[in-house]
Amino acid sequence: MSAFSCPYNLIIAGVGGQGNVLISQLIARAFIRKGYQAIVGETYGVSQRGGSVMSHVRVFKEGVVGPIIPEGLGNLVLGLEPMETLRILKAYGNPDIHVITNTRPISPVDVIAGNLSYPDLDNIFESISLLSKRAWMLDASDLAMEMGNALLTNMIMVGAMLGTDLLPLTMDDFVVILQTYTKTEGFDANRSALQRGFDTIKATE
Amino acid sequence: MKKLLSGNEAIARGAYEAGATFASAYPGTPSTEILETVAKEYPEIYAEWSPNEKVAMEVAMGAAFTGARAMVAMKHVGVNVAADPLMTLSYTGICGGLVVVTADDPQLYSSQNEQDNRNYAKFAKIPMLEPSDSQEAKDFVVRAFEISEQFDTPVMVRSVTRISHARTPVELKERMKPPLEVKIRKDPPKYVMLPVYGRKRHVVVEERFKKLKEFAETFDLNKMEINDTEIGIITSGISYQYAKEVFPNASYLKLGMIWPFPEKMIKDFRSKVKKLYVIEELDPFIEENLKIMGVQVDLGKDTLPICGELTPTIIKEKVAGIPEEPFLANPENIPPRPPNMCPGCPHRGMFYTIKKLKLYATGDIGCYTLGALPPLTSLDTCVCMGASIGHSMGMSKALGDEGRGKFVAVIGDSTFMHSGMTGLADVVYNKSYATVIIADNRITAMTGAQDHPATGYTIRGEATHAVDFEELGKALGFKHIVKANPYDLETYEKILKEETERDEPSLIINQGPCALLRRALPKAKKPFYVDVDKCIGCKRCIGLGCPAITWNAEEGTNADGKKRKGYAVIEPTLCNGCALCYQLCNVDAIKTEDKVFYGLVENL
Repeated sequence: MSAFSCPYNLIIAGVGGQGNVLISQLIARAFIRKGYQAIVGETYGVSQRGGSVMSHVRVFKEGVVGPIIPEGLGNLVLGLEPMETLRILKAYGNPDIHVITNTRPISPVDVIAGNLSYPDLDNIFESISLLSKRAWMLDASDLAMEMGNALLTNMIMVGAMLGTDLLPLTMDDFVVILQTYTKTEGFDANRSALQRGFDTIKATE
Repeated sequence: MKKLLSGNEAIARGAYEAGATFASAYPGTPSTEILETVAKEYPEIYAEWSPNEKVAMEVAMGAAFTGARAMVAMKHVGVNVAADPLMTLSYTGICGGLVVVTADDPQLYSSQNEQDNRNYAKFAKIPMLEPSDSQEAKDFVVRAFEISEQFDTPVMVRSVTRISHARTPVELKERMKPPLEVKIRKDPPKYVMLPVYGRKRHVVVEERFKKLKEFAETFDLNKMEINDTEIGIITSGISYQYAKEVFPNASYLKLGMIWPFPEKMIKDFRSKVKKLYVIEELDPFIEENLKIMGVQVDLGKDTLPICGELTPTIIKEKVAGIPEEPFLANPENIPPRPPNMCPGCPHRGMFYTIKKLKLYATGDIGCYTLGALPPLTSLDTCVCMGASIGHSMGMSKALGDEGRGKFVAVIGDSTFMHSGMTGLADVVYNKSYATVIIADNRITAMTGAQDHPATGYTIRGEATHAVDFEELGKALGFKHIVKANPYDLETYEKILKEETERDEPSLIINQGPCALLRRALPKAKKPFYVDVDKCIGCKRCIGLGCPAITWNAEEGTNADGKKRKGYAVIEPTLCNGCALCYQLCNVDAIKTEDKVFYGLVENL
């Protein structure tokens, strides 16, 4: 397991509607249950309408830690969309940062309209690899659609994060939180999605 | 175990613990979740979405006048709407505690300006508390109720987006019994602000303010932390968190009560430290008032920005002088990702038509403000709630007959209930020819689906009367009222052209529920798809700016041998079958396996 030290700064990046506000809260709660202090900083509003969304989860033992991670001080980026992952790395990256990113692009409005082009995906992945200590690329959206629901992408990504062993959180730690804070009808599907992400990462090790 | 609560959830919890029995608000980012939490979690508290912030303030006053503890919550610009009752409420005072929560939005994440509402406390001569995390947000609300009753004054609690929407651990307490009996209390000299009584109450306000200043000196939420005395920092709210992270060893005076100031305490702090820094977001509120007191400030807004959100990074760079070395310059040109109207949004057809008819659109506050962004670019003004109607009215008078058929006002249903009716009355009363579209999507959409007086539901989901816009329009004197389906492009265009060209006022009421409003969407529709063999790459569908349609720039020919620069693709996970693109396609390349009807609801 890689070194986990406090304060630990985790950034979840994605697009409005991908469910990153939800997973940031669940991750923070899992840490609190393990005896850490955790806070979540997020900004939503118009970003619910397809804009960039970023959540900051900060895990610490003591001291005053605010809801915004200072630039350059990210420890881990969980990216739900590749271009958003790169955007975050630009601001919060450093040579020791770890990255787990979904590979499926979502086009912003200027790309849809044909005014700008989406950066070449291979270039994005190459940049992400060069700019991080280690990066994992995961076809989480494809896996989710294979499981019958694109909305499971976020849980697959969380499962993948747990599978990297970067954090002092086990699958069981997270499943307890999932059980407490998500609606019962969605639990089984979310649980399977977590496992799917976890197993996929384990298979690459 | 502590609970992880957002600042807004903590504020709601504070009202609960303080024994409040009344809470009102109009939704507005970043304040919305305060009342949502009250409605969802605390049945002991009466909760309402009021039509606007002024009404929210007035109903809370009415409750407080009986001795009940009442809270009213709003976003920063909402206080402008409620400022009329607030300024005189300062004179009448309250009876039961009254807490006014203002949630400011530095950086304008979802607002039309970034005004600093600390100025309102000074303006209204009332105390304001400013928490710096969720724990304080909860605790400060409870304290605010106590101060309110102790000094017979409304008390403001100021949050910002980073407090309201951040989640930090909170220790919960039990609900207390409020101290006062709830009953009718007759006292005209206190509550009837006739000039003869108002003059006397102004004197009371000034005396109260002196007492509050004394109180601030010993108030335990104003905290002095003496560490390294080389640098002393006066700060409050979220700025305290940022400053503390950058300067963990400096000395601090953290003002839990940001108005009035504890002058002796400040002078005492000044004498203990060598250099005094003021670290605050937005206006130089602390700094200017320190200067009025004659306190020497060594660093303030000469160094820190007035515009935008403060961050630890800015403090590090500007105050600590540690330059942020860019981790990487620009590895890729990363396109921006602004928000956009959702797939299937009922506003899209309206804006497409406005653009096609080259109309100037006076606009308003809501999701439809996004109509100003490319590719539709068809909204031309947006200032405050309800202003669209006034703007069109004013334009009609300034332009005279020349303006007919050239402009239209666009206002949402919730915004219309908030501040549109008076403007609409003016259009008829003063004989304008203005055309007003109520873009009725049956919900307050931008803030995440809140009910209002025209939806037929209360904040707790109980069925209630729904205002009928058509009847209302008639009562206000409109002779031309048309209900229109914004998904039916051909008919909508005809209606819009006809109504804007009239020499009399007319009202168009859009019939298209929000694409995210679950209760209005009885049936899932199958997505449309592009027949790639047929698509000629004309980009007509792309011009809608629908998030579900993307452009694949692959030059070539279609199956009929027609040259094309690329072709459109519809993302099946995003398309919800509104059929706008289907209507625009001239070559029948957009298809569906479903029965086609224009809109998301079959019986529109």
